[in-house]
Amino acid sequence: MRERLPLLELLLSALCLWAGWYHTPAGALVRTAGAWIFGTRSTARPLLAYFAAGTLVPPRPPPPLAGPVPPAQALAYGAAAVLDGSPAELAPRIRALAQRLGSDDAALLTLFCGEDAARFAVAEARSSALDDLARVLPPRSEACVARAAQAAMLGGAYALGWPLPESVRITSLFGVRDHPILGGRRLHAGVDLGTSIGTPVHAVAAGVVRRASSDGINGRIVVLDHGHGVVTTYCHNDALMVRDGQHVDKGQTIARSGSTGLTTGPHLHYQIDLAGEPVDPLRFRAQHPKTALGATD
Amino acid sequence: MHWNVSERVGRIRWVFLPLGLAALVAVGAHAAADVVGDRVLWLVDRVDAFFDAIWSSWSFTAPLVEVIGLTQRTWFARAVALCWELAADALIAVPLLGYEERDAAREWQLGRDMLRRIRSPLLLVRPAATLLVGIAGAFSLARMVQGSVQLAVHLSWLAHFLRALILVAVLVVLVPRAVFRSVEQERTAPYRMAAAVVLLPLLIAAVLSWR
Repeated sequence: MRERLPLLELLLSALCLWAGWYHTPAGALVRTAGAWIFGTRSTARPLLAYFAAGTLVPPRPPPPLAGPVPPAQALAYGAAAVLDGSPAELAPRIRALAQRLGSDDAALLTLFCGEDAARFAVAEARSSALDDLARVLPPRSEACVARAAQAAMLGGAYALGWPLPESVRITSLFGVRDHPILGGRRLHAGVDLGTSIGTPVHAVAAGVVRRASSDGINGRIVVLDHGHGVVTTYCHNDALMVRDGQHVDKGQTIARSGSTGLTTGPHLHYQIDLAGEPVDPLRFRAQHPKTALGATD
Repeated sequence: MHWNVSERVGRIRWVFLPLGLAALVAVGAHAAADVVGDRVLWLVDRVDAFFDAIWSSWSFTAPLVEVIGLTQRTWFARAVALCWELAADALIAVPLLGYEERDAAREWQLGRDMLRRIRSPLLLVRPAATLLVGIAGAFSLARMVQGSVQLAVHLSWLAHFLRALILVAVLVVLVPRAVFRSVEQERTAPYRMAAAVVLLPLLIAAVLSWR
């Protein structure tokens, strides 16, 4: 029997090599090593980009907002930032696609990878989440999947609320600054909101508590995972109202603000991370609350 | 001398079969490692929270809390998954490059004899991991073929048929050979306990990735 199989074996082995070559970090390592030895340019992605079905690629910072983002158009704003398009034109298109294909993620996949790919992914994936949809697409879809994921990430960030009342002042902005306690130039990875101890802190979107813990630097800290690589962090709280793994709704009280950890006074440090990279929360808001800089850390 | 294509291909099978087996298991190991990425991130978060509480107890260690932020945790979790996958590749995929084909009946006989002589469950970890990860690789490969065919020719029935065909063919033609080589290699393989630590979670992850 085996004597008649060599062609089938060759075909199957070739398929395995094709899949391993283009779809695994080990294949990427071999490709990169080969390119290094022969002095050519490797087309392999960074090794860590092979995880989460290639959907955790940080987006470039979005352009400043001209006006407030209507909640229903947040996803269109995200797609427009990646496509350099107009949110007003993309919003009805995304809405129609989402209705037809059953989810916002499928609509984004259609926008970036085409309707055939999206329909196939919806039919074959185990859920309508973007990473599951991406997992069933062939390796050549990597680039468009990454762009769809970036649009979903930015859309998720545009849909976020604010953890405290709008009237609360920002006392320190996002960016590199002289640290008021530790000294030296450091990245301030979020914004500080000067508020009194005991003020309710609200979840800016529905999500899962990824961390509810305490340490001497961040004080009592809550980290929420909102999906699509969007994570928000709330530091220096006086009391935590949630526990690890808990699902929270948008607007739910997750903590009471305080002055725990390394602080110069009561405030809330609020931070947004996209695919693990901190971004300026004010990039996603047209109306900035009043600022009184340099007051806290 | 007259050679047909099958004979010509048969003469180079000693090159492509071992490479194919190793690639199949590497694809399966990646599918398994990718499916548990969120759980690895959860674990890294727990460990980081534990150490943050310790570091922040003294002023001279407090800056260490800031060293590992969310960016580093996300990066680190994926790096852990990557290292785990590459370690699994080294333990069960790379040894398959040493596969030497024998007559089918002889291979089965040898495999059964070797399995019968195994006295410790530790000796079964590598073959079991090769089997389950090989099946995960077969599922993953079949899905990739289906996706590529579907998006290239838009014939759903053909894509489904090819997926089923590739899945069955890999499970019948390649996976048993990979397991045989793994059983054969296990007799002389070092670091069995360390291998078990790496591969036992992979067994579960591989099954989770089957579909």
